[in-house]
Amino acid sequence: MQTDLLAILIPLLPLIGFIINGMGFRHVPKGLVGILGTLGPLVSFACSLLLFTGFGGQTIKVPLFDWITVGHLNIPFAFQIDQLSLIMLLIVTGVGSLIHIYSIGYMKHDEGYGKFMAFLNLFLFFMLLLVMGSNYVIMFIGWEGVGLCSYLLIGFWNKNTSYNNAARKAFVMNRIGDLGFLLGIFMIMGAFGSVEYTEVFEQAAGFPIGDATVVAITMLLFVGAMGKSAQIPLYTWLPDAMAGPTPVSALIHAATMVTAGIYMVVRSNVLYTLSPVTLEIIGGIAIATALLAASIGLVQNDIKKVLAYSTVSQLGYMFLGLSVMGYTAGMFHVMTHAFFKALLFLGAGSVIHAVADEQDIRKMGGLRKYLPITYWTFLIATIAIAGIPPFAGFFSKDEILMHAYQHNKLLWVLGVIGSAMTSFYMFRLLFLTFFGRFRGSEHTREHLHESPATMTVPLVVLAVLSIIGGFFNVPEALGGEARLAEFLNPIFNLSRRVRPSAFGETLLTHSEEYMLMGISTAVAIVSAIAAYVMYVQRVSLPEADTVERPVVQKVLYNKYYVDELYETIIVKPVRGLGDTFYSFGEFIIDGIVTGTGWLVQQASGQLRRLQTGSIGFYVFAMVVSIAAILCLRFFVRF
Amino acid sequence: MLPIILLSVFGIVLLFLGFLKTRAVLLPAALLFILIALGAGFLEWNKSYLYFGDMLLINNLAILFSTIVLISAFMVVALSGDFLEDEMAQPAEYYAILLFSIVGAMMMIGYENLIMLFVGVEILSVSMYILTGSDKRNLRSNEAALKYFLMGSFATGFMLFGMALLYGAVGSFTLTDIKSYILLSHGRPSLLLYMGELLVLIGMLFKVSAAPFHFWTPDVYEGAPTLFTAFMSTVVKTAGFAALLQLLSVSFSAIYGFWWVILAAITALTLLAGNLTAVYQNSFKRMMAYSSISHAGYLLIGLAALGQQSRSALVFYSLAYSLATISAFGILLLVAKQHTTDGRPDESYSAFNGLSRNNPLLAFVLAVSMLSLAGIPLTAGFWGKFMLFSAAVDRGMVWILILAVLMSAVGIYYYFRVVIAMYFREGQAGRIRVAPFYQFILIAATALTIILGIVPGLFQNIM
Repeated sequence: MQTDLLAILIPLLPLIGFIINGMGFRHVPKGLVGILGTLGPLVSFACSLLLFTGFGGQTIKVPLFDWITVGHLNIPFAFQIDQLSLIMLLIVTGVGSLIHIYSIGYMKHDEGYGKFMAFLNLFLFFMLLLVMGSNYVIMFIGWEGVGLCSYLLIGFWNKNTSYNNAARKAFVMNRIGDLGFLLGIFMIMGAFGSVEYTEVFEQAAGFPIGDATVVAITMLLFVGAMGKSAQIPLYTWLPDAMAGPTPVSALIHAATMVTAGIYMVVRSNVLYTLSPVTLEIIGGIAIATALLAASIGLVQNDIKKVLAYSTVSQLGYMFLGLSVMGYTAGMFHVMTHAFFKALLFLGAGSVIHAVADEQDIRKMGGLRKYLPITYWTFLIATIAIAGIPPFAGFFSKDEILMHAYQHNKLLWVLGVIGSAMTSFYMFRLLFLTFFGRFRGSEHTREHLHESPATMTVPLVVLAVLSIIGGFFNVPEALGGEARLAEFLNPIFNLSRRVRPSAFGETLLTHSEEYMLMGISTAVAIVSAIAAYVMYVQRVSLPEADTVERPVVQKVLYNKYYVDELYETIIVKPVRGLGDTFYSFGEFIIDGIVTGTGWLVQQASGQLRRLQTGSIGFYVFAMVVSIAAILCLRFFVRF
Repeated sequence: MLPIILLSVFGIVLLFLGFLKTRAVLLPAALLFILIALGAGFLEWNKSYLYFGDMLLINNLAILFSTIVLISAFMVVALSGDFLEDEMAQPAEYYAILLFSIVGAMMMIGYENLIMLFVGVEILSVSMYILTGSDKRNLRSNEAALKYFLMGSFATGFMLFGMALLYGAVGSFTLTDIKSYILLSHGRPSLLLYMGELLVLIGMLFKVSAAPFHFWTPDVYEGAPTLFTAFMSTVVKTAGFAALLQLLSVSFSAIYGFWWVILAAITALTLLAGNLTAVYQNSFKRMMAYSSISHAGYLLIGLAALGQQSRSALVFYSLAYSLATISAFGILLLVAKQHTTDGRPDESYSAFNGLSRNNPLLAFVLAVSMLSLAGIPLTAGFWGKFMLFSAAVDRGMVWILILAVLMSAVGIYYYFRVVIAMYFREGQAGRIRVAPFYQFILIAATALTIILGIVPGLFQNIM
């Protein structure tokens, strides 16, 4: 009973926050807006902690009501509390609360403050539905809801046209993915006659490996994940999404929403385990995304753009982990990534806040002295993401690479190259921003200041988590107990049953593991040193946009011209087709529509005449009708 | 059973309350009485009883239909505050007649014997004749009452004749006796039975205003005081369909092959006549009259495709339709009072112009009720239509489904005219003062419409 109440409260509280702040927009006093907006997520976090501590290992279902019953298909509105949703709950509400607190400081002076808080709360509500729902349809509601909030928040400063375009781009690209997801759900309904996780997976476990239906379902679901989690070819919206306020980038476009795709795959692990083909494809797409995004990140000059490409690349790593059936490793990286990437974005926000909304790192530098807390926390996050032990990123990334090594050596090599690039672009960002001397205007320099406590406290908390986050799942080779893996274990019971071989004991010896760890750490450190030499010792700055660049750099700087490519091969033809259909529609379809309308009007005008108002006629009509009915029934055979 | 007795007594009590100097007590008393009856009805939930020497059957289905009738009546009475201020009105009598008419409706819902059906129909009809003509100063009201009475008596005659024929064939008025007679006749029941069934059906179809027996509806609905129009178009329809369902599902389901073609043809005719004629109207009230005909058409689908899903679909649709209709008439009452042409309230579409500017709540309530009547998703009306249509699919009645969907599209045209008037036209509508309780009723009906639209499962659980 108590768990039921807690489970209902968790999504309900942010919703209440949304309703109060949303309806009372402009009426709720400013001081109260922040408190109301933050209280919901904080209490939700407390509830999640209570659920977590009271969790006994048994999956709990909290049915609220029967939502839709059509024929034999029954879709209940219910929550499912198990190991996976608990981990996601803690991440979403925990990081979410911190970012809400941070937003109080960051957005306070914006005129849309109340609206912003309301949207953020709404986002949290949908995200919680997504991870708590006990079936695919509820997941889909959450999925669409977070997409909507993402759209609203990217275009939050809607007076700027390019921001609106970015919002629209995100919306359209996500819609493509959602279509795949939706078709996947329909196929699940068709194949299993249910959308409840427990029923679907139980039935699926009886299917043979490589079954065509399951392959199709998993492919379609993965198309959905591509859109939401920004994988090739649907990744270009995420860098553009940085148009939104920085806390939004941290919460939605780094820590939580974009990991929904990974959550979905892990949730459906039975289906994916049954479909090795899909896993191979995911692996290919994932590593390509990781490398492509990382290489673009090497030369970007916008502080948020670098972080955005880094996010795309890290999402690639997560999918890489999933594709080699390192489901736990993928989830582990979701968790640590939430800590350090949220921290990086919030740190970037603090920097942007200090330098009067400048985002170009060529105009920063030397901020170490002015923003000490931001600097230290940013440094910690950079070390964490670069994969240098003993910070969080090292453990999770290493586990992914280890699984990749076992599966396919080539994937591992590519992964290590990617992590070298990661380390390089992150340290480049760090050095250009915080080292050297300040390159902005004199005027800005006088106003440089550390951010208020509401912003720095979340930074510190996240920094601590980025340091210790890795210890939740220390591998056995390093004398740890792999506690996260242990905890998540029951989620993969069915997968283990359908493909026991894939879940066997690791074949790697400890010395091999040490070697892998050593290589990836060494690569990260070497890249960091390279960045140090280039940007601190030689003080070389990236050129201004006007300077002609060498070919390779130019291609990277222009993001491989993918946006331009999409424009030429998709957007323009579609627009042309639209124009054609429009002129066609003008003539023929409009004609049909108006014609139908005219016909109805005419019929109506004639029918109306029957309504004479004279009783005599009415009675006559009635008698004739009765006679007609009786004749028809008794004298005409049919 | 208890509600029937209670309401009869309460009606008489209300008449006596009318002698009091102050009229203020009448409205709360009437509301309280209806609530008590509502509560008393649920005492018999999950128990199936026969009363009056097996003439009346109270089961869960009957209680659900009665609940819809009582809710509709409650809302109509709650919206009737104006009568208390009108010198010429006789609220005590109106309320008493309303309560008596509910008794009639409940007998129609729970009858087990055709005599009971006849008595119920007559109690309800006679009450309606009186209420239609209650606006004595208005010539249109008088004319409508007379028309209704003449046509109604005519239809009653057919029904009674049909019952007599049924008795001639079966030797009993009880529904189950008719059923066992049909089953024992080895597929060759007497011709009297067929004739009798058709005539009783025709009588009942007249009451629910199915085409081609619908001609009285627009004239009567337009002439009657708006509040009683709301009552007629919800309570009478709900009770009528409950009675038809009872008759067809209990007695005549064995000769489904005989009557379904006729019912399907009438359904098609009703859908066409109701929807197409509604397009041409300029008066909102008259449009609502045709709309009620078209909804009779949709409800008839559930009967023509009698099957597993019909019961729950009919109950759900009746509820959705009643909620939306009463709130629409509630708004019409308020808006029509604002403008008068020739001393009469203005009930045309143009009266709604620019309503949203100064009265956003009223405009929203009416918009939701129009959406629900048009069957747009996220309102109760959508699920109502969905359930009826899926009942038709179960029977494989594709052509009637296509017609119904096309006619729904036509429906959107005339329902949205008022929405367009409210939101996109300029108008000089000032702020309309609405009593708090009146407002509460409107909001509650709208909220229920939306909740049932989002979570239809809540209701299906009860069934």
